[in-house]
Amino acid sequence: MRDTAYVVVTIVFFWLMIAYVRGCERLGRSGGEGGERP
Amino acid sequence: MTANGWLQILAFAAAVLAVTKPAGIYLERVYDGSLRWLAPVERVIYRLCGIDPEDDQHWTRYAAALLLFSAVSMLVTYAALRLQGSLPLNPFHRAAVPDRQAFETAASFTTNTNWQSYSGETTMSYLSQMMQLAFHNFTSAACGVAAAIALARGIARRSGGRIGNFWTDLIRGTLYVFLPGSFVLALLLVQQGVIQNFAPYVTAHTLEGARQVLALGPVASQEAIKQLGTNGGGFFNANAAHPFENPTPWTDFLSMAAIFVIPAGLTYTFGRMVKNQRHGWALWTAMFALFAGGVTTAYWAEARGNPIHAARGVDVVPTATNPGGNMEGKEVRFGIANSALYATVTTDASCGAVNSMHDSFTPLGGLVPLVNIQLGELIFGGVGSGLYGMIVMAVLTVFIAGLMVGRTPEYLGKKIQSREVQMAMLYVLIFPAVILLFTAASALLPQGLAGLNNAGPHGLSEILYAFSSVTGNNGSAFAGLTGSTTYYNTLLGLGTLFGRFAMMVPMLALAGFLSERKTVPESAGTFPVTTPLFVVLLLGVILIVGALTFFPALSLGPIVEHLLMGLGKVF
Repeated sequence: MRDTAYVVVTIVFFWLMIAYVRGCERLGRSGGEGGERP
Repeated sequence: MTANGWLQILAFAAAVLAVTKPAGIYLERVYDGSLRWLAPVERVIYRLCGIDPEDDQHWTRYAAALLLFSAVSMLVTYAALRLQGSLPLNPFHRAAVPDRQAFETAASFTTNTNWQSYSGETTMSYLSQMMQLAFHNFTSAACGVAAAIALARGIARRSGGRIGNFWTDLIRGTLYVFLPGSFVLALLLVQQGVIQNFAPYVTAHTLEGARQVLALGPVASQEAIKQLGTNGGGFFNANAAHPFENPTPWTDFLSMAAIFVIPAGLTYTFGRMVKNQRHGWALWTAMFALFAGGVTTAYWAEARGNPIHAARGVDVVPTATNPGGNMEGKEVRFGIANSALYATVTTDASCGAVNSMHDSFTPLGGLVPLVNIQLGELIFGGVGSGLYGMIVMAVLTVFIAGLMVGRTPEYLGKKIQSREVQMAMLYVLIFPAVILLFTAASALLPQGLAGLNNAGPHGLSEILYAFSSVTGNNGSAFAGLTGSTTYYNTLLGLGTLFGRFAMMVPMLALAGFLSERKTVPESAGTFPVTTPLFVVLLLGVILIVGALTFFPALSLGPIVEHLLMGLGKVF
């Protein structure tokens, strides 16, 4: 039971980190005044 | 303090200076792909894993690949530790590692932290040590350097958010840097007497007639990557204080040099990549100034010792036969100078190996490793993480300098605007938030207080040190905290994960954002990043951001403990 809990915690943590990547990307687009695209 | 002690510290500093340039040139050639002596091996790995080495990844794909690799390898290690009892290379029939400890250990080694709440010699099988923990020692170090190189690429070129290929960086770092480097270092360590075998443990009879089991094993190979990759997890519970891990002054010196060689070399690599070698040296100088301040303070505090000892008639003056000062928790073969130096080096870098017990240092001596970690471990720092931590601070420095003179800040030709500063501030704020929140919770909750071995300010220092160490991915312990509980295993494991990945993501975003900007030529309004003024301003930003954030907590821990020691009260 606790094994499942630790595995789920690990998966949820990394899933959150992926969401965090997307959040940072969105923040970059919205706050990118002056940001040039090639 | 003795002249002999200072000479050894100066010799170490000279060695770090001497290896910076050759290491930096080698690292640049590894990551720009011009080094090819293992090309056939590389090609086989790329083909087997389906990697296209020419694929230049956008920063979001780079970060996702790093996260995916870390998640899968962490889960595999968790499973292997839980199934240890059924797996081979387990001559002493070690049982499965408890779930809470397996989670913390898997998280800790995946994140280059190597916090150990277990004794390696009585908990881990040879297979767990060699296949799981050593695997992470190599790959977590390679991930750190890869991330730093990705940030350097983001600054050095204009590529629309593309910062390199994570898989190529991971494989090339492991193949060209960590495997050969560890092989050479392991041979040097074996020559000095570090053991390397698969022999069963030996029972010895002591002079008092007692029986003592001497643990053996493949130590030198573990020790080499532990230092070179700034991992720090020891084969034995006593870590580098154990005579089978660190038997002589030479192994001690080699270990410390191995901890600093890649972080120091990366400053030179960075200078070459951004075509501003003087800036690379400016970062090196800032790192060295903080290192020198730390080692001087630690050596002074430990050589001075505990005034209560002197008041009670203990001879604390150094002589040819008496090291004097505070020798509690230190090995006689290393003495005070090398213990203070090792403690400074291991916490400047995010290594965490120890050759003395930091919990036994005087309050000010123990303050040095704690502050080193809390500054963000950018004093040379962990492999890769030290450089990218310092670059984030440099970005903040030019931003503040730009505000002072009223111009748009630039860093190495790239304009720094709101999104770059947002990422830098995310990086800077996550670190103290995790440390202080987890420390405060543990200082209040009965589960947190149950792990304390000391009362008063020293107890708070133990909790603060533990969460600083795991969040900073250091892994050293104050050794006075019983961390092997469900509460601490879980919280410390989470601390390592947040301290690594929640900081790496905004750093990689910063790399991507900078790579989208064109490089503008230097103008009269550009704040120069190669001058002593820049170094001083950078040091000021690091100290203000790092030290002042933690000053209230430090004042309740080691600082008040130091003041009370002067009044004759110890904890």
